[in-house]
Amino acid sequence: MGGLIGLIVLLFLLPMIIQQQTYYLHVFIIVLIYIIVVSSLRTVALSGQLSVGHAAFMGVGAYFSGVITRELAISPWLAIPLGGLASMLVAVLIGYPFTRVRAIYFSMISLFGGIIIVDLIMVAQKWTGAAGLANIPLLSPINIPGIGNITFLGQKLPYYYCTLILTLVCLFILYRLEHSRVGINWKAIAQSHMVASSVGINEAYYRVLALAVGCFFAGLAGAWYAHYTLVLGTSTFGFLPSIYLVMYMLVGGQKRFAGPIIGTTILVMVPELVRSLKESAPLVLGAIMVIVVFLMPQGIVGLFDQIRVRYRKSNKRKVTESVAGN
Amino acid sequence: MDAQTLASTGISALMLSAIYILMALGFALLLSVMGVLNFAHSALYMVAGYICYEFTVGFGLSGWLSLILTVVVMGAFGVFLERFCFRPFFGDTNRIIVIALALIVILESLMNILVGTAVRKVPDFISGTIKFSGFQVSQQRILVTFIGAAVLIALIILIQNTRRGQQMLAVAQDFVGATLQGINIYRTMAFATVIACALAALAGSLGGAVYYLNPFIGDQMLVKAIEVVILAGIGSISGVFAGGLILGIIDAFLPMVLSGVATDATGLGIVVLILLFRPQGLFGHEA
Repeated sequence: MGGLIGLIVLLFLLPMIIQQQTYYLHVFIIVLIYIIVVSSLRTVALSGQLSVGHAAFMGVGAYFSGVITRELAISPWLAIPLGGLASMLVAVLIGYPFTRVRAIYFSMISLFGGIIIVDLIMVAQKWTGAAGLANIPLLSPINIPGIGNITFLGQKLPYYYCTLILTLVCLFILYRLEHSRVGINWKAIAQSHMVASSVGINEAYYRVLALAVGCFFAGLAGAWYAHYTLVLGTSTFGFLPSIYLVMYMLVGGQKRFAGPIIGTTILVMVPELVRSLKESAPLVLGAIMVIVVFLMPQGIVGLFDQIRVRYRKSNKRKVTESVAGN
Repeated sequence: MDAQTLASTGISALMLSAIYILMALGFALLLSVMGVLNFAHSALYMVAGYICYEFTVGFGLSGWLSLILTVVVMGAFGVFLERFCFRPFFGDTNRIIVIALALIVILESLMNILVGTAVRKVPDFISGTIKFSGFQVSQQRILVTFIGAAVLIALIILIQNTRRGQQMLAVAQDFVGATLQGINIYRTMAFATVIACALAALAGSLGGAVYYLNPFIGDQMLVKAIEVVILAGIGSISGVFAGGLILGIIDAFLPMVLSGVATDATGLGIVVLILLFRPQGLFGHEA
């Protein structure tokens, strides 16, 4: 707990540490947004549904929020939650029929679903733009009592703090959900859908719920992303980005809540840090993945467990040796 | 729509089906024999296309020789793939997905560094058209269809009538039982991987001659292969033919009525609809 508070304090002080260098702030903002998306993907996966089309739901939120603020002149602060809700609505509509399929069939059908969503976004060129959606309105200035007026024009710092708070709130909700009764039901369904049904868990309801919650947060993060980058292209939400989200989760470790956070931080940040290598930058990413997959069977978070187990073993040996010595 | 368009679209449908089936068979083989969800199949397709391009254009070999050499090279790569990428993680789906993604990232960026994003094309194996009962059809497309069909028949015979093929089926059903019967499962798996890679090599070389090549071309092919496999149902080799034919026909004929990305969405939509009514695929068993 103490470590967690220390980490949060460190994150709040981070802009001072990196002396507000715009580029690094940008990298951190992107990392924080993707942490929300990948954690929400893990929430969907908790119920045994490994979705391989999650980036598309991020796209639904992003495009919905971007289009309604442009066309209807709604405040972005209202449009961002609406983007999340739009994504949730899509998830519920397609999630219910998808409950008929399980395991690998679900993964593949979600992959197709994701591609279809992105295709449909491209088909609706009238609103989403032939060459991507540009001129998305900036977050409008807000007035927080005690702090004063905050404007977002050309500034990274307010964006960083808002993104950080958003991420922390989302992660808190997802964490509480996972450890609530709902989360336990999800895990039960993942272990055995038959046993779960036999003890009275409504499988379809809880699976759609997991998808809806996960996609709400993905849409929320996507909408936030839209009002941060101000330009959208469908390539951000396509087939490969969806697979990359799964990769961030698996490399970090799927078993623990911290897994997606660590995986995303490392795998999003490293390619940015080695950007000077140009085309060979992805090779660094590939190398990290190979190292993780060979040395850390449970992902990067599993490493802590591995170390703990080894440490305990050597401790125990010391105790037995000293006992034997006496 | 006149008869000529119909004829050439029909040939295109058959050719597309042949390429899809070649890709999907390899993918299905790895999935059912080893339980490997090989996302890297896209990268294998792309790399094979470039190797074939290099043999024909770079070394000036004839098309047929380079096709065979490509298959041999990729088959050898299959041995490496099985030994160092799949075997250490046997039974652990998550880690196999990660290693496959790592392969995609590494192979695609290597190709990007080596050849850049410039669009290349494998030279035609046969050029010109042929008169076929009054219709002009491209010889190459017919050729691709025939090669595809021949390879598929050979593969079916291999699986049904040889010892090794039966061993693969046994491992697919139950690898513990197969081991108890004295089957060397690792050798069988290596064999399956080599076949899968060789099939991807064929698809890549032929696809590279009919279409074009860039380092990221395989991704679309991967989606098609997965579509075919899921449509057919996991574990069903013969279902792959039906799946491939359905998808080939959809992809060849839909562009006549729809345009651009709408075709892709409709094709996928049809597959999703079929799956919703038959969750285990057309010929598969329940997962």
